[in-house]
Amino acid sequence: MEALFNGLGALYLAKCDAAKTGQVFQAFLPPGSLVRAAERLLQDKYFLEDICAVDCVEGYVVVYHFDHFEAPGRLTLRVLVPHDAPTLPSIASVFDGAEWHERETRDFHGVLFTGNPNFIPLLIDPEMADCFPLRKEEKARAKAKDMLEAGEVIFVSPAFTLMTPEAPTEVKESSGDQPATA
Amino acid sequence: MTTSQNNDHLAGDFYTQNFAKTAKDGNLILNLGPQHPSTHGVLRVVVELDGEYVMRAEPILGYLHRMHEKMAEVKTAAQFIPNMGRVDYGHALGWNWAFVGAVEKLADIEVPERAEYVRVITCELNRIASHLLWWGAYLLDLGAFTPIMYAFDDREKVLDILQIPTGSRLTYSYFRIGGVAQDLNADCIRLIRAFIPWFRSRLPMYKDLVSDNIILRKRIEGIGVIEPDACRRFGATGPVARGSGINYDVRRATPYSMYPKLDFVVPTSELKDARGRYDVRMIEMEQSLRIIEQALDLMPEGEVLVKGAPKPSWKVPKGEAYFAVEGARGKIGAYVVSDGGKNIYRTKLRAPGFCNLSLFAEVSKGTILADAVAILGSLDLIIPEIDR
Repeated sequence: MEALFNGLGALYLAKCDAAKTGQVFQAFLPPGSLVRAAERLLQDKYFLEDICAVDCVEGYVVVYHFDHFEAPGRLTLRVLVPHDAPTLPSIASVFDGAEWHERETRDFHGVLFTGNPNFIPLLIDPEMADCFPLRKEEKARAKAKDMLEAGEVIFVSPAFTLMTPEAPTEVKESSGDQPATA
Repeated sequence: MTTSQNNDHLAGDFYTQNFAKTAKDGNLILNLGPQHPSTHGVLRVVVELDGEYVMRAEPILGYLHRMHEKMAEVKTAAQFIPNMGRVDYGHALGWNWAFVGAVEKLADIEVPERAEYVRVITCELNRIASHLLWWGAYLLDLGAFTPIMYAFDDREKVLDILQIPTGSRLTYSYFRIGGVAQDLNADCIRLIRAFIPWFRSRLPMYKDLVSDNIILRKRIEGIGVIEPDACRRFGATGPVARGSGINYDVRRATPYSMYPKLDFVVPTSELKDARGRYDVRMIEMEQSLRIIEQALDLMPEGEVLVKGAPKPSWKVPKGEAYFAVEGARGKIGAYVVSDGGKNIYRTKLRAPGFCNLSLFAEVSKGTILADAVAILGSLDLIIPEIDR
């Protein structure tokens, strides 16, 4: 599974426990490599389940769920975008179905997807489409690492601290950043 | 007519104007719905027509949008269950299951064995009711009036059965976190046992009278061909994917509950067209009967709700979980993220119809308008599920 992400500059790769959370693998990616990752997943015959955003203290965690018809096992791609500039490249050119999911994510959270072929409101009336009902107030936000499954870490980029437990990053570096390659 | 009459409405609303921007000169822009009978509820489709031919189509959603995902944020987990019956009135118990299953996975709650069987039985009965609703309404779309009378006669029997444990006939809110609301009583089980041979005897008649009918065959064979690759790109699941030869059923792919113990076939069709999807659903009803039959025999005595099942004020443990079940229209998914509060921090509902409908723009291209309506019906759309 890790091989899928070679050369994509992944920030965080982890094996997950499907029995506990329903996903077998997760990857945090930089926004720039999202489209290339989607291309590889389509080539590997994955299909897109859904796209959604989770409003956390650190920003919006945009979650892409993929699954496979022949070899079932949910693969999750995640991207963190800041609250003040929530913009991502669209993957609708690869997975056509993403067009609607991205429009829905815009309606609910106000995350923008550049390159979406028809980026107009989908579910919310165009006259009130900028209400973003699922954005949370600042004090209502929780931290991503408290909620999202950390999994069995395969790789973590030193600069990426979103999922690292409270421990400072330098501890991670000195103890070697690839603890699990089983 | 006065000269001061305002004719702005002739230009169409926001969506029509946006759609018309890229239309070819001389082509007709036509609005189907949201009140047209063939669009089942309140779906709207804007189409660009060159004569009878559909050049381009764009479904417009949102007429039945209720923001269930926001309601999930302001209600506690147990209070949110009634919403699930209202997401998809066709297969309400599938949605019940997806949501409680996700919460159970998150909280690591084990469901009593009897409750699992009760879930399987009621969910499969609900699937039959859903397919019958589709079948009757689809044939009505195609101009055959009588089948819906037969379909609703049978469906009525299923609704009578499900009314006993659930207390309702359409928008079921029957599953609980940790089990189901109440056990199937002797009367209910007797009715289910009587329903199985009855419905089995009806299926060959449906085949002779309707499925093999030459008028129906000429109407649905060869239209709306969906390639497996398109299913991947759009995320189509359920009978739409299986009608395109993809052997994917969540009950087998990611086994849950008691399905691994039950013997049933996942029907697929290599036809890839509206006919393929039709065939798959007809066989699925037979298979659901088989599942119910086995489950009734295997069901042990016991509790149907785990001891200490969560109360409305229960705090959902921190973490995330994704749970999917096979609904009548495909993969129903519930993704829950909790921060440890009573209300779930984020609930994402994955509606199979949403992804299946997104295919429509692609498959309807180049067909004649009457076929486009037949393709739309073959996708089995329940609008409240798509709009959520």
